[in-house]
Amino acid sequence: MRIGTLKESYVADAALFDSRTQHAWLAIAATLLLLFPFVASDYWLYMACLVAINVASATGLNILTGYTGLVSLGQAAFMGLGAYTVAILQTRYGTPFLLNLLAGGVVAMLGGIVVGIPSLRVKGLYLAIATIAASFIAHFLFANFQITGGTAGLSLPPARLLGMDLDTSFRLYWLIVPVAVLMLLGAANLFRTRIGRAFIAIRDRDISAEVLGIPLLRYKLLSFGLSSFYAGLAGGLWAYFFRVVTPESFPLSMSIFFLAAIIVGGMGSILGGILGAVFMTMVPELLKLVVDLLPGGAALAVFLSPVRLVVFGALIIGFLVFEPLGLAEIWRRVRRFFHLWPFRN
Amino acid sequence: MAQHRISTKRRSLMLGAAAAALVQPLSVLAQGAEEIVIGGSIPMTGVFAFAGVGINAGIQDYVKIVNDAGGIKGRKVRYVPEDTGYKVDVSVAAFKKITSQNKVNVYYGDSTGFAKTINPELERNGNILMAGASFASELNDPKKYPHQFLVGPDYTEMFGILLKHIAKEKPGAKVAFVYSDSEFGRDPIEKSEAAAKALGLSVPVKIMTPAGSVDVSTEVIKLRRAAPDYTIFHGYILAPIPEFITQGKQQGMKSKWMGTFWTMDSSTVMKMGEAGDGFMGVMPYRYYYDTEKAPMLEKIRALRPEYQSTAYMQGFLAAMLFLESAKRCLDGNKPLTGANLKAALNSLKDFDTGGLIGVPITISGNSIPVGRVYRADMKAQKMVAASDWIKL
Repeated sequence: MRIGTLKESYVADAALFDSRTQHAWLAIAATLLLLFPFVASDYWLYMACLVAINVASATGLNILTGYTGLVSLGQAAFMGLGAYTVAILQTRYGTPFLLNLLAGGVVAMLGGIVVGIPSLRVKGLYLAIATIAASFIAHFLFANFQITGGTAGLSLPPARLLGMDLDTSFRLYWLIVPVAVLMLLGAANLFRTRIGRAFIAIRDRDISAEVLGIPLLRYKLLSFGLSSFYAGLAGGLWAYFFRVVTPESFPLSMSIFFLAAIIVGGMGSILGGILGAVFMTMVPELLKLVVDLLPGGAALAVFLSPVRLVVFGALIIGFLVFEPLGLAEIWRRVRRFFHLWPFRN
Repeated sequence: MAQHRISTKRRSLMLGAAAAALVQPLSVLAQGAEEIVIGGSIPMTGVFAFAGVGINAGIQDYVKIVNDAGGIKGRKVRYVPEDTGYKVDVSVAAFKKITSQNKVNVYYGDSTGFAKTINPELERNGNILMAGASFASELNDPKKYPHQFLVGPDYTEMFGILLKHIAKEKPGAKVAFVYSDSEFGRDPIEKSEAAAKALGLSVPVKIMTPAGSVDVSTEVIKLRRAAPDYTIFHGYILAPIPEFITQGKQQGMKSKWMGTFWTMDSSTVMKMGEAGDGFMGVMPYRYYYDTEKAPMLEKIRALRPEYQSTAYMQGFLAAMLFLESAKRCLDGNKPLTGANLKAALNSLKDFDTGGLIGVPITISGNSIPVGRVYRADMKAQKMVAASDWIKL
């Protein structure tokens, strides 16, 4: 039980951030995010953008799988839909990038709603298999349509803002990170609304949810739509980030990556999606840094690289065994410890 | 409490690693002025690791040979590789990391996707010349890819070399194309069909298989009906080529079977077993065990007594061309910029690779359109030359 957080109204109880400490930490985090591009090298800026894109997409999947309980392995396909929409609009029509990003999200959302239809009849692993089909169908469409550039894909010019090309990691940071933060705030707020609560009710027991008056058809498809919208937006950011979109850019393994991210991070928790995506993206890179720091690490790269992968796998298994609720739960435990520190024995 | 201690420890470890990475660039930049740096996004893990390990060793060995001989005009050469797992985003991260920590002059990339993705960055940077594991025809365009080159013929040129050989061996022959449904597989097909017709050959059937397919029985029936004299496989490493050949032979096909570079390593072809006997394909480099006069091969054999793959030869030759370009720039007192390095590369006329390629090479564009047809001799467990060197 936390001390000093007396709630006097329902509004206060439902507030997203409920204490001064939280506000202070958020202000520090925002300041760090603002200062980061001015002190970090190109490599760290690149990683920050990549992490932000992955966080956005993982959060989308978390809405569907973590909060609504519908397992999907189609997240990469929806990202592909968003990325291709952006690439086509940018190369063919040169429309403003914000419009392209929104269009990418909307196209992916429509795709998601179609793919989500089987969720009315099947659940769990069966639904996962049904969503795998989305990956294959999307790959086929991307590789065989003329408008998508066939197997060679599409190369797109950089996004332009006020006459400036967003063509470096530094410049893209100011697009990608704010969009990702907005998406996170949107998702966090979603679960303070009737819609978000309905998703959670469906996850916990869909029959009971229906008895309570939640139309399953509408809400399951809405969850698919929202999740795919997030994926489409993340895919659009991905397209502006890498500026080459090919059918091989969004493999099934990418969907598994996002599923693993939310499982490791903690399903049904916004923080879990963030921590999971950061973990899955950054830990392989940090392990490389550790290998580089070992004496003769660079020279032994050929032998140490496979070891690095084994360590990464072992870390994932370790986290799942020792904390099945994910990194978010570890974070919560650490916080709880400090809530009472130093008065707890 | 214990958890808190672990968490703090882990955090300080991560902070330490991050701080080291941030501090590292300054020290390296200070000492790197007189060095020539080769960066590399090398797939030491993942699906392409079989080649990445060889490429890494090839570059390492050539750098060692050059440094042991005093470097390039007194400058030492430093090779900075990083594993990519053959993933484009990781390759780009490796590029960003290596280039922000070192003053990189030349770079080895691991895939077509990476080459396309990093191209705008190369142009903006302006100080790096890049080659890589890709032989994609799309990259063979000096206007679109001014700071890149291919360490051999592109895939369409590989087909061109095979078709030229076929047209000479059996004029008017029927040639089937079997390829995977991927960017890699589809790359040379359209242009090569036109090239075959121009050489008086016919292409009775083109069969595209899903990437990674194993059961090819229906495709084999289609192939048998077309009764080709030659069948060229492309877009695969090994599977499903042995299945095609075995089933084709069982059904009485008399076709000769051929492949392109990534299938043609000796160890890969030997894995085909009996089906691989007589398998032919295009190879731009000499094999490790070739007996023709090749001083550079002798050096390689002295360095490494065990067999080295064709990927090794590719990495070795890439390093040789990188450093020859750098040498020519320094000879002409030109700064090592991407444009100067590329111009120096394009100044190579009848350049002797020490026998790695059997004929002197000239690089006028982005590729080296030279190769030779080799044939598998299963009894000797070797690839033997089946043609002379063919220039396009």
